[in-house]
Amino acid sequence: MFYHISLEHEILLHPRYFGPQLLDIVKQKLYTEVEGTCTGKYGFVIAVTAIDSIGAGLIQPGQGFVVYPVKYKAIVFRPFKGEVLDAIVTQVNKVGMFAQIGPLSCFISHHSIPADMEFCPNVNPPCYKSRQEDNVIQEEDVIRLKIVGTRVDATGIFAIGTLMDDYLGLVTQ
Amino acid sequence: MADKTMPIFVPSEKPVKVVKWKVKQGVFVSQGQILFLYNDSSGNVTELKKFKAIRAGTISSIKVKEGDIAEPGGAIAELEECRHPTVMKEMCAECGADLRTDEVTSRDVAVVPMVHSVPELKVSEELAQKLGREDAERLLKDRKLVLLVDLDQTLVHTTNDNIPPNLKGVLHFFLRGPGCPGRWCHTRLRPRTKEFLESASQNYELHVCTFGARQYAHAVADLLDPEKKYFSHRILSRDECFDARTKAANLKALFPCGDNMVCIIDDREDVWRHATNLIHVRPYSFFQSTGDINAPPPPENEKTKIASGLNGAAQGNQMPTLDAEPEQKEKDASKDIESKEEGGNGKILTKDVKSNNTEIKKSEEADQESDERIVQDPAESKWTETSDGQIEVEDPDDYLIYLEDILKRIHKHFYDLYDKMGKNQIPDLKCIIPEVKSEVLAGTSLVFSGLVPTHQRLETSRAYQVARSLGAEVTQDYTDKTTHLVAVRAGTAKVNASRRMGDGTAKKFHVVTPEWMWTCAERWERVDERLYPLQRGGQSGCRRPPAHCSSPPPAHAPPAAAAQRKRTPSGRFMDTINPLLSFSTDDIADMDREVEDIFNESDESSSDDEKPGDDDLDDEENPPEDRLISVSAENSLQDRLQDSQEAEGTNGSDDADEEPRPRKRPRRSSPPSDEEPPDDDDSSWNLMGAALEKELLAQD
Repeated sequence: MFYHISLEHEILLHPRYFGPQLLDIVKQKLYTEVEGTCTGKYGFVIAVTAIDSIGAGLIQPGQGFVVYPVKYKAIVFRPFKGEVLDAIVTQVNKVGMFAQIGPLSCFISHHSIPADMEFCPNVNPPCYKSRQEDNVIQEEDVIRLKIVGTRVDATGIFAIGTLMDDYLGLVTQ
Repeated sequence: MADKTMPIFVPSEKPVKVVKWKVKQGVFVSQGQILFLYNDSSGNVTELKKFKAIRAGTISSIKVKEGDIAEPGGAIAELEECRHPTVMKEMCAECGADLRTDEVTSRDVAVVPMVHSVPELKVSEELAQKLGREDAERLLKDRKLVLLVDLDQTLVHTTNDNIPPNLKGVLHFFLRGPGCPGRWCHTRLRPRTKEFLESASQNYELHVCTFGARQYAHAVADLLDPEKKYFSHRILSRDECFDARTKAANLKALFPCGDNMVCIIDDREDVWRHATNLIHVRPYSFFQSTGDINAPPPPENEKTKIASGLNGAAQGNQMPTLDAEPEQKEKDASKDIESKEEGGNGKILTKDVKSNNTEIKKSEEADQESDERIVQDPAESKWTETSDGQIEVEDPDDYLIYLEDILKRIHKHFYDLYDKMGKNQIPDLKCIIPEVKSEVLAGTSLVFSGLVPTHQRLETSRAYQVARSLGAEVTQDYTDKTTHLVAVRAGTAKVNASRRMGDGTAKKFHVVTPEWMWTCAERWERVDERLYPLQRGGQSGCRRPPAHCSSPPPAHAPPAAAAQRKRTPSGRFMDTINPLLSFSTDDIADMDREVEDIFNESDESSSDDEKPGDDDLDDEENPPEDRLISVSAENSLQDRLQDSQEAEGTNGSDDADEEPRPRKRPRRSSPPSDEEPPDDDDSSWNLMGAALEKELLAQD
């Protein structure tokens, strides 16, 4: 699920940037430091939309570095159990398949793929195919899946998905 | 492990009426999912309650139908708990349960990492067996086998050194690892690799199995197979290996139903624990200064040896310090090819090779002056600059042609046997591969001469084992069945005896050099014996098995004998001691005469390089018996010279030049590195002669 929330971040700046461009550099540094990162609590920071305030810089004693507390708004992506999402299949193997939902990797075990779909390793690329051969899931395909579990670490999130529900599976454009 | 079935009990003290089931039998439910709606049977119908599953699992049976009343204490349904057969990052991939906190469920159910590139994904033993069986059935249906392919020095050779950027056929890529600055890799594919993969993929399912890091393995696999049609995702790298020294540990996980349809090609035997389903390939070496950049760490007790440079010899002769053998091997190889192509017309051929070599050497020297660093071996490759500024390097390696053939034979043998056997019986490649190999020299009977040190038992020698694995019989001495005499040099008792026997009886055996046997072992075919006649001079160093027949000594074996052999190229005990102390005065007088002869000889002929060519020809054209009679005046002089030397070294060739040097300078005192400056010209002979005379005078 996507959220637009306010977040805080501290920017540590080298004294060589002290000059007329200082605040621009703080902003630039914020973008590079937070966009694309992942925290367990808020999920993936997709994009910074606005910088609300750049607080007063505090010079570190003995170093000369300055710390700016920055308040900003960002769009974050936090997957939840039970959520239904569209994903792109990245790898298909005999145990199941891996899919990518933007920055989130997800694994769908063979058991969670409808039983009428069989693994076909001989075609290139390998795929899951239904017996009537009308439903084929292979690499690069878009599928709709439901998240049944997430592994949230301090630095990343990994999800387990399933295709065993109504309206899940291959998305035909 | 027993099924964990737990009954669902009536949720209250009083009897309840099940109003509606929300799930069917055999359906997987997740934790918190509504199973059924119920109310108190006491009559209060309006109050409908939901019953939610306490934990995830499968509804195995429903005991109470809709509308029925269940008594307290009785089971309404049975829920079979999820046994977490597939686990990804310690999370059940089927019910989504977090196994890191859930200590109650046995964590060791899913232990087998079945997918090459994702070690975090594990499945249970039971599921692994099922998947393995499915794999085996599919392979049999497609009439395929599994081939595990090593990368480094089997299909490619990679270096991190600086090399000229415009080498043709060398691919460059940059690896950036986390936490390290990254490095450039330069990879040369073995000649015919693409064709080999294409042909092998017809009969085999290809897997990569390498000790390179994951990034490297995937990068190289991408070079070999950009469309991912050969390897797909079946790439196993060092990051997924259980053990840093052996790849064999992963076999059980990848092939849970046994590895009897698995064939392996690798240049290292030890990393597979000398498995019988391994085809030991000749290591491919293109960048001379680089060995295997991804070699496994050596066993503890060998580390000391590396420091002294000994292990390099065992690892496959690719180090630049070991100059003699690869060069010679390549020379032989190129000689083979050419003589094969042109029907063994030796006279011109050998000369061609020689002149080529000298040419290359000259151009090499010129290159070295201009270029800061050259990694190519002059005898191994020829450099030609094409019009577009690319340097084309001639690469005589043709091993993959033979490997392709070997794999085809193994595949045919397997499925012939499979068709013969009844259904549900699968032949074992661990038996078939040695069987195929043993057909190579089946029916031959070998006698070794000078190949096995006298203090070593025949059965324990590497040469014996190689010959036996090729299906040849090996006897200590001549028998009626003897077909081949494998001799390191002419003039041994057995060689002389063979001449006498050859004269006496109608039966004739082949007298060949060990190179013949090593080549048979390399190609798995009976090579024409005429290509490997025993030269009068013999070749030093070929007694040591080449890399594809040998391997670093196992950790438990006492390496003393092997080490001794490696230290001296000729392998004779004689060279390991100070020769001047053990020589009698006669010997020294002999040597003196020898030096005189050489002086005379070098007056006669301006260049030594052409002579071995001429001499080789004599041997190829005339059988050894005839040779004794028809020798030129010059040859008789040389013969005398050789007899006194016990026929070591070819006349005036590089090998012979290197031979006498250890006598002057005792080996033992020098570091055992085999490093010899390769200057072989008359001036060094003169110096040696002078030194010898000085020694002589001092002794008298």
